[in-house]
Amino acid sequence: MQTEPYTKLYLSEHYGNEAFRTLAGYEAAGGFQGLRAALARDPEEVTELVKSSGLRGRGGAGFNAGLKWSFMPKGDERMKVLVCNGDESEPGSFKDRMIMQQGPFQILEGLLIAAWATGARRSYIYIRGEYQYPIQCVRKAVAEMYDKGYLGRDVFGEPGFEHDIVVHSGAGAYICGEETGLLESLEGKKGQPRKKPPFPAQHGAFGLPTTVNNIETFAHVPYILSRGVEWFRGFGTEKSPGTTLFGVSGHVERPGLFELPLGTPLREVIAKAGGVRNNRALKAVIPGGMSMPVLTPSDLDVPMAEEFLSERGTHLGTGGVMVMDDTTCMARVACVISYFFRDESCGQCTQCREGTGWIHKLCERIEAGRGRPRDLELLESVPALMEGHTICAFADAAAWPIKGLLRHFRSDFECHISEGSCPFPESFEL
Amino acid sequence: MAQITIDGETYEVGDGLTILEALDQLGVLMNEVELPHYCWHPKLSVDGSCRLCQVEIEGVPKLQIACNTPVRDGMVIHTKSERVEQARRGVMELLLLNHPLDCPICDQAGECKLQDYAFDYGVKHARTDLPRRPAKKGFELGPTIVFDQERCILCRRCVRFCREVSQTGELGVFQRGERSLLETFPGAELDNPYSMNVADICPVGALTTKDFRFKVRVWFLDDVPSICNQCGRGCNINASRSNNRVYRFVPRRNDAVNQTWICDHGRMSYKGLTEGRCTEARVGSRRVNYDEAVSTAGDRLRSAIDAKRPIVVVASPFASNEDLFVLQRLIGDLGCEPGTFAIERGDSDALLIRADKCPNAEGARALGFLESDAAVGEAAIALVLGRVAPERLVNVETQVQLVSHEADISVSADVVLPVRSHAEYLGSFTNFERRAQRFSPFLEPCFEAWSFGDALTEIARAAKVLGWEQPFDVIRVSRELAQAVPAFAGLDLESLPAEGAPLR
Ligand SMILES: Cc1cc2nc3c(=O)[nH]c(=O)nc-3n(C[C@H](O)[C@H](O)[C@H](O)COP(=O)(O)O)c2cc1C
Ligand code: SF4
Ligand code: SF4
Ligand code: FES
Repeated sequence: MQTEPYTKLYLSEHYGNEAFRTLAGYEAAGGFQGLRAALARDPEEVTELVKSSGLRGRGGAGFNAGLKWSFMPKGDERMKVLVCNGDESEPGSFKDRMIMQQGPFQILEGLLIAAWATGARRSYIYIRGEYQYPIQCVRKAVAEMYDKGYLGRDVFGEPGFEHDIVVHSGAGAYICGEETGLLESLEGKKGQPRKKPPFPAQHGAFGLPTTVNNIETFAHVPYILSRGVEWFRGFGTEKSPGTTLFGVSGHVERPGLFELPLGTPLREVIAKAGGVRNNRALKAVIPGGMSMPVLTPSDLDVPMAEEFLSERGTHLGTGGVMVMDDTTCMARVACVISYFFRDESCGQCTQCREGTGWIHKLCERIEAGRGRPRDLELLESVPALMEGHTICAFADAAAWPIKGLLRHFRSDFECHISEGSCPFPESFEL
Repeated sequence: MAQITIDGETYEVGDGLTILEALDQLGVLMNEVELPHYCWHPKLSVDGSCRLCQVEIEGVPKLQIACNTPVRDGMVIHTKSERVEQARRGVMELLLLNHPLDCPICDQAGECKLQDYAFDYGVKHARTDLPRRPAKKGFELGPTIVFDQERCILCRRCVRFCREVSQTGELGVFQRGERSLLETFPGAELDNPYSMNVADICPVGALTTKDFRFKVRVWFLDDVPSICNQCGRGCNINASRSNNRVYRFVPRRNDAVNQTWICDHGRMSYKGLTEGRCTEARVGSRRVNYDEAVSTAGDRLRSAIDAKRPIVVVASPFASNEDLFVLQRLIGDLGCEPGTFAIERGDSDALLIRADKCPNAEGARALGFLESDAAVGEAAIALVLGRVAPERLVNVETQVQLVSHEADISVSADVVLPVRSHAEYLGSFTNFERRAQRFSPFLEPCFEAWSFGDALTEIARAAKVLGWEQPFDVIRVSRELAQAVPAFAGLDLESLPAEGAPLR
């Protein structure tokens, strides 16, 4: 297992260093300076600062983190809650795991800063159940914080600043990564996203005002406070400042994590990963986890930041870059993707429940060489029935990649239908 | 208040309501404003999952579900735009994807929202030839309900009903995604005092009652508004009948009384309407025709009047307000002791079921009858409405009993007159909250039987009681009641609204 990214900047600077995973080591490396800087300011000022830093959520949707914090109701007597989303279930994403293992105190410091800013009294760190080792690492870090008196009452000597952190293990469902599906699961219910309104800031975990952010989002926060907005904005683009941990997988020589500024050209990200394996030609890249539409070799120069990717009909998502070389059969890719979404839909919304099943059956039939010419039309129109019509964005996530594959690689599908077999003998097996 | 515009029409609606709630409260939902919906139900929490109720709101980029979108002052809503219709067609197509389309053998046909909406808003041709998801057909979920899993559209109305209304929680959706299936929890049966309501709220033919299933096609039925007479709540019902036969009771919505529910016991009480009826008049042990029984009763009453001997009256909380008004007037004209009535009591709960197992105890009270189960005083003759405990009549010489059911006939009855059940005449009951509610006849007895009021009037006429020359006419009597008794002012049968009205 990789213990540190192949390329490092501020976030992963100390990853791989055993001491950094202990409270003492973290403090020695400058830990908690961000929190101390925050405590010296008014909570509203901290929120403003994070807002102006332009830090965008790293969980997929890229929403401005400080702006989200500002939605927490003020003058509300109810206890406020933070939730740290460590479900990391988007296929192609494996960055949060690294942070939980190598920089658990970064997450906790980020949470405490957010707690100060929003007045939250408790945090839940929800981690996917399969992540047993990351769970252990985070639990150990939380325990050390309690032992040292850094959690509970009078946090960091700030009278009246109380905060508790609870680590919660999920039970393995993609949809529990969606923030309200997560909240249901956290409450011990079936993981099914909630309709909105009400929004989590009004009615979140256990009915309390709640803000949900991704693991990585919290981990960036301390640096904004300790080193300043200017410094933070020195990385990345105008609209997407900071770095991220790109997780490159698939047909590359050196798959793994790479900390790079947002806006790094896709070509460079792939080059860092050693380029396409065996010097083969690139066929397609999924830029941000499996639910994002594919890019083609003509997009290699796109800067990896949301504002540029959305111009190309796709999104940064979680920064999970999946590289496919020219052996890859796109009908098979569609089959794998549609299988996943058919399996993981929570099944509440008509379009998602029925549409994911329909798409998968169509993909399966086409891939197996039993498709009918009309199936391609259907494969185009069924995602359109789903998109934008459901409780959560899962249905979009299921529809987009299929649309993208058809847009760019229609001939792969047509071949399967006309030939009745797969034209890519070396493609990965199903 | 907020002003909203829907398809060009402007409405004033309450703040804080969702669009569907507002339309429901205005009474325009599915009438003036066609906004098809499956998972939303006025008496259940919002689910927001079927996605059929999507509307276009000006200034909001995405379509929104009307069942979970709060109204805003100035909101402009479109329910007929191309975008809305396209989204609706999409939902309908997807719902039909795994639906068996076995309408010819489905009991819901004719009152199925899938059938209706598919016809009105759906796509006309299936675009798929893929196999449907496997699911079980026709199995029992409990003693009252049969479930066809294939037909279920997973709207979760039944799940929410069992959680929120009956609070028994037997049902859940298991698995996820397209493998989702409605089922009872392991080891649980759908068995609660309100279980059959799930069949009413199921928009498709997935949940049907064992009782009604396959009895008759609903388009042969017509519904007559009535009131359940099994307890003091007086749940509003529709009696579905065809050819002088009643096939079922279904709840009729009344937000002030029973919401949209009835208990299983009340629902099944239609069976008792025709079973075990008292069909023949009797004098002693001799079967006689109705007129003879009436004239015998009249003669005996006349003798008691002439002899100035005491006459007693035992009222019934199953008789209508109009019946009891006639009886009360007769008591006044005869100058006898105040009439009494007895109540049978049983189980009750916090939802609908009341302990008093009769429909009109409050009406009897409002009309001056006294609740008592003590023996009546010595009397030459007793006029008895309905069932009576024999001990109450030990001091009575002649007992004239008006009953609807054989089992109610008292062993000591001297004259027995069959009367109609409340299914067979027009009248009103006053429920436990003193709400007067009208019921209409939906059956015609196939033997001679009159209503209490009618029979009492004829007995008084036969006895030549002064002032009792006119035959009974329920409408006239109800007007007289409204004039004579202040509590009933303005509540005659013609003025009483369909949802009833509180006594004054
Ligand atoms: C289907 C689905 C799955 C998601 N899975 C995750 C996840 O595993 N981890 C995560 O942080 N966010 C996930 N999200 C995004 C969350 O809903 C939410 O936007 C995010 O946790 C907010 O944090 P951020 O603003 O810091 O990104 C998912 C969203 C959807 C629609
Ligand atoms: S879109 Fe899909 S995953 Fe999201 S709530 Fe609806 S059915 Fe569940
Ligand atoms: S059985 Fe009927 S009410 Fe229950 S979820 Fe299915 S369709 Fe809805
Ligand atoms: S009725 Fe609104 S989503 Fe079902």
